[in-house]
Amino acid sequence: MPPDAVASSRRSRVAHALAQNVGLELAIAMLVLSVAIYCAIYYAAQGLLPGGFELTTTVNNTMPLVLAAVAQTLVVLTRGIDLSVGGVIDLTNAIAAIGLGDSLAQMVAVSVAVLMVGAACGLLNGVLVAYGRLQPILVTLATLSIFQGVAIRVLPQPGGQVAEGYTAALANPSGPVSLLYAVLLALIWWGLRRTRLGIGIYAIGNDESAAEAHGIDARRTKILAYMLGGTFSAAAGLFLAANATAGDATTGNGYTLTSIVAVVLGGVSLFGGRGSAVGAMLGAFITTMIVNILFFAQIDPLYQAFYEGLFLVGAVLLAGGIGRLVRRS
Amino acid sequence: MDVSDRLIGRRTVLGAGGAGLAGAAFGGLARPALAQGKKFKVVLSNSYIGNKWRLEMENVFKAALQMEPYKSSIEGSWFNSDNDVSKQSQQLSNVIAQRPDAILINAASPTGLNGIINQGAARDILMIAFDNTVTTPKCLKVNTSQSEMGRAWADFLVKKMNGRGNVIMVTGVAGTEVDQARIKGAEEVFEKAPGIKVVNRYTGMWDSSTAERNTAAILPSLPQIDGIWCQGGTDGVIKAFISANRPVPPVAGEAENGFRRFMVGYNGQKVDGLSIGQPPYLSVISLELARRILIGQHPKQDLLVPLAPLTSDQVKLGETAFADQPDSFFADFTDGGDHPILKLCVTAALDGTPCSGRLDVNLPAV
Amino acid sequence: MSQDVPAVEAVNLVKSFGGVRALQGASLAAAAGEVHALVGENGAGKSTVIKALGGRVQPDGGEIRIGGRQVRLPAPPTAHALGAWTVFQELTLLPGMTVAENLLLAREPRTRLGLVDRRRLAANAESVLAGLGVHHIDPRALVEDIPLAERQMVEIVRAISHDPRILFLDEPTSSLVEREVVWLFGQIRRLRAKGACIVFTSHRWNEIRSIADRITVFRGGRDVGCFTELSEEDAVTLMTGQRVETFFPPLPAAPRAADHRPALEVRNLAAPRLRPVSFAVAPGEVLGIGGLAGHGHRELFLALFGAGRATGGQVLLDGKPVRLRNPREAERAGIALVPEDRKSEGLLLPMSVRDNLSLALLRRLSRAGLLRRGLERQMAGGEVQRLKVRTASLAAPVGTLSGGNQQKVLLGRWLLTDPRVLLLYDVTRGVDVATKHEIFELMMRLAGEGRAILFYSSDAEELAHLGHRVLVMREGRMAAELRAPGITAEHVVSAAVRDAA
Repeated sequence: MPPDAVASSRRSRVAHALAQNVGLELAIAMLVLSVAIYCAIYYAAQGLLPGGFELTTTVNNTMPLVLAAVAQTLVVLTRGIDLSVGGVIDLTNAIAAIGLGDSLAQMVAVSVAVLMVGAACGLLNGVLVAYGRLQPILVTLATLSIFQGVAIRVLPQPGGQVAEGYTAALANPSGPVSLLYAVLLALIWWGLRRTRLGIGIYAIGNDESAAEAHGIDARRTKILAYMLGGTFSAAAGLFLAANATAGDATTGNGYTLTSIVAVVLGGVSLFGGRGSAVGAMLGAFITTMIVNILFFAQIDPLYQAFYEGLFLVGAVLLAGGIGRLVRRS
Repeated sequence: MDVSDRLIGRRTVLGAGGAGLAGAAFGGLARPALAQGKKFKVVLSNSYIGNKWRLEMENVFKAALQMEPYKSSIEGSWFNSDNDVSKQSQQLSNVIAQRPDAILINAASPTGLNGIINQGAARDILMIAFDNTVTTPKCLKVNTSQSEMGRAWADFLVKKMNGRGNVIMVTGVAGTEVDQARIKGAEEVFEKAPGIKVVNRYTGMWDSSTAERNTAAILPSLPQIDGIWCQGGTDGVIKAFISANRPVPPVAGEAENGFRRFMVGYNGQKVDGLSIGQPPYLSVISLELARRILIGQHPKQDLLVPLAPLTSDQVKLGETAFADQPDSFFADFTDGGDHPILKLCVTAALDGTPCSGRLDVNLPAV
Repeated sequence: MSQDVPAVEAVNLVKSFGGVRALQGASLAAAAGEVHALVGENGAGKSTVIKALGGRVQPDGGEIRIGGRQVRLPAPPTAHALGAWTVFQELTLLPGMTVAENLLLAREPRTRLGLVDRRRLAANAESVLAGLGVHHIDPRALVEDIPLAERQMVEIVRAISHDPRILFLDEPTSSLVEREVVWLFGQIRRLRAKGACIVFTSHRWNEIRSIADRITVFRGGRDVGCFTELSEEDAVTLMTGQRVETFFPPLPAAPRAADHRPALEVRNLAAPRLRPVSFAVAPGEVLGIGGLAGHGHRELFLALFGAGRATGGQVLLDGKPVRLRNPREAERAGIALVPEDRKSEGLLLPMSVRDNLSLALLRRLSRAGLLRRGLERQMAGGEVQRLKVRTASLAAPVGTLSGGNQQKVLLGRWLLTDPRVLLLYDVTRGVDVATKHEIFELMMRLAGEGRAILFYSSDAEELAHLGHRVLVMREGRMAAELRAPGITAEHVVSAAVRDAA
């Protein structure tokens, strides 16, 4: 071991962790800030603080985006981008709406099958990207259309009916039970980060050929990352169906872009290899908070999109600026 | 303090659950708001504001709020959500948190909002969906019949053509429920008229320039056309006929101002036509339905809004066709029929400026 | 393994990259217990041979033998399995990951659950570093947050930590300072004593002389000879195919300070990390600046070019005070700076040689806002000839040129502005011996034309031979002034470290 004198001149473990996770810390700060603003504006408008109903609906509404953001993070970390997230959600949401049924056994079986469909969609993306040597943005743009097309075939008219029990399990309307899933998701991420696959994903996102030079199988890692991403997108489709209590083969479309927004707000670099899915999860909640804040701030609906864009640009600039500042110091 | 507790408490007092709405008696949901001099809170949740129709729909709603009887009895507000289901869902939960008396919804998805709408209904809020309605039974629906519209257009042509001749069908956005219903209604009529031949069917995407472009492209290959059945972009189809020096046959189409002006006589052309549109004032009808139910003067029931067809004989410049408005303006913001549901002035549709006088809405009989 | 059989052998390797033939029958044989140096101009094929031996490049033809057996190396891990590890010139580190993650990539310690044990990861990395005598690198730091020299050390440590039987090092010392080179050579000697075979490339002749047992010279994609003894002059001759009499060209006669007003005079110039310094350079004079890294010379050069913040003092050109608030003002005043990092500070690699050359004088080349292409081509062509830039055409992207030729293009760009004062900042770093020689000749010619040259080099040998005077900096001030003739590298080094020792 090196002499203590040398070790003591270094940053402590905590200092390193703080300096190396600036994106995540900023996401936490932004979430805290936006929740605070939301509470303040809510109080000003309503004369009381938001309570159980607000928390529950916010969590239930955001969970699909949280899952989509994790899916997007997996792919973005490999230096790719997954535009098909919305298509996978469309497809899986459609299958869930017609297939889940009423019995517990069927619900479990169909849920597993839906997750496998998501994994298969990811497999297609991954194989095309890894073996086809194609740009992820092109591959997933193409598969987005394919998945959307299949989804419409599966469920031409919005409809279906999700059993109450299923809704109660995934998107319970009477309490913020879904927060447990968010916590679970963070734990899964913690573990994944410590597996060979997790390290491989970061490694190829940093420098694919360097990672390969040291024994990382880049193709296998990429395919697994896309498959895992597809699985999380499928989970988003299930949560969406549970929350809406029915299916619509087009409601997933918006998640492609919003998942990218969440990823960026969460401090994950679009250039790959840097960032955490936990940050992206927080980013998902931040986007919902922005909707809430603009709602209660009584801004003319015609200008809402404008303010939303302004907020996003501001947040990203701020995050980038502070990140650079911390780096330098 | 837990809001849901408070809401549950109120529900017990009122004694009305979310279920069995259709059978509720008059006054079942009547609230004491007026008696206390308070206004009812009614919120419009509009899935997006990206086209002229939606703008007019929101504008007439805004105008109505500033006219009696709504001015003194309703406190209204409105929201848009970029056609994003999860955003509309989140906004609806915010609206529900404000505990309004009624929420009017033009939905981004027929099913995607069911969960949150059910929660609103469970909290005793009157939920009404119009135009793009939803599938949940916990929500009232206010709409026209799209298949009836398709049928009425076809009926008009069969009559004008004395049951024989060539027809083109200009359809809308493929895959949508509205497009399918309108086509189905028309087909039922044309099938029963053996002399009518549908010589071509192509999409106009409910858009004048697309309809004009597609018509111009296809017209040279077509025989003489004796009737035009058009779901939208009607003025574009007529313009394509004129540019190609083809006589304009009887036209059954939507309610674009451009079409209405041709019906009056425009650029030396007078078109014999029937104009029926999806009326932007569905928002105002929904508002009236909410008001009546809240004051206990109407049962909680869905409303089928009758169509407001207008023929070339009925159309009047300044009332149902406007020389100073663009062709793309929807001229059916007011009911131009003989027994109108409501009468609105053009400024209401243009920018939400209220009309003079009182706004009387004659809800269709249930 | 028998002593007669080479530990590693490349036989007639052929390799083309999109029409450019990088290797045309290159052979190399290195024995166990030997340190084998590979020298040649940039672009002679040294790096490609090392990449082929390391499994990063697949040769189109020829054979690779390890321990006498023919092998195919489709990827680096195959070479690793045979005990052959490589330190590549463009480092293969993952910048966004920690030093520890990089060192132990794909061999991380695990917990009972099979997950990576991050605590032990850092501890193990720490002991790997310490075991090789490296104590100043923090295993928890991100690679992108540590200096380039430390990154290069991490890359070297990673290869050595596998206890290789064969070790390839492609310009391992390009970013290292003296102390770290000493450490590396210690490691190389230790491995050699254990019977390992080490093949390395370098442009620093003193390094090659001090450690190589044999030297193979490359020219034009093939080997031209293997030697146990080779002088610098003979090496350059072999590398270029042209006879070179002396590696360092003779200095032009020193201008007599009394005859001239100084071209550049600096009075009490101060900047962060730069104590007030004063000196003067006469027209036609080459003034060398020496000193260890971080002792103020970088700040001095940047301040003189208007790229760094000067906090006080005065700069005079031909006796007139000038303000240098930004590089544009410096350029207008007649000052040019050629930096060492061509990629980030000078050239636009994807653009053509011509465009890069004309960039510095677009204003002069254009009339009414339009570029005069004919004039541009004429000037660029003349410059390419004058500097002996080896390029396929004026339209070739600069990125396709070898490092030394890129450096010449950068130099040429500034010469087109006809500067009075040339600031050369470590311009020969990473440049092959032959091109170095050409740059030196050019410097002397430019001085002979009456330009003042201020020249910093991390190579004390160059300073000793090429400066009329050498100012050695230490802790931000001028610690010593040495005058030619009679300056030696030892003088420069000892002046730089005098008090530090």
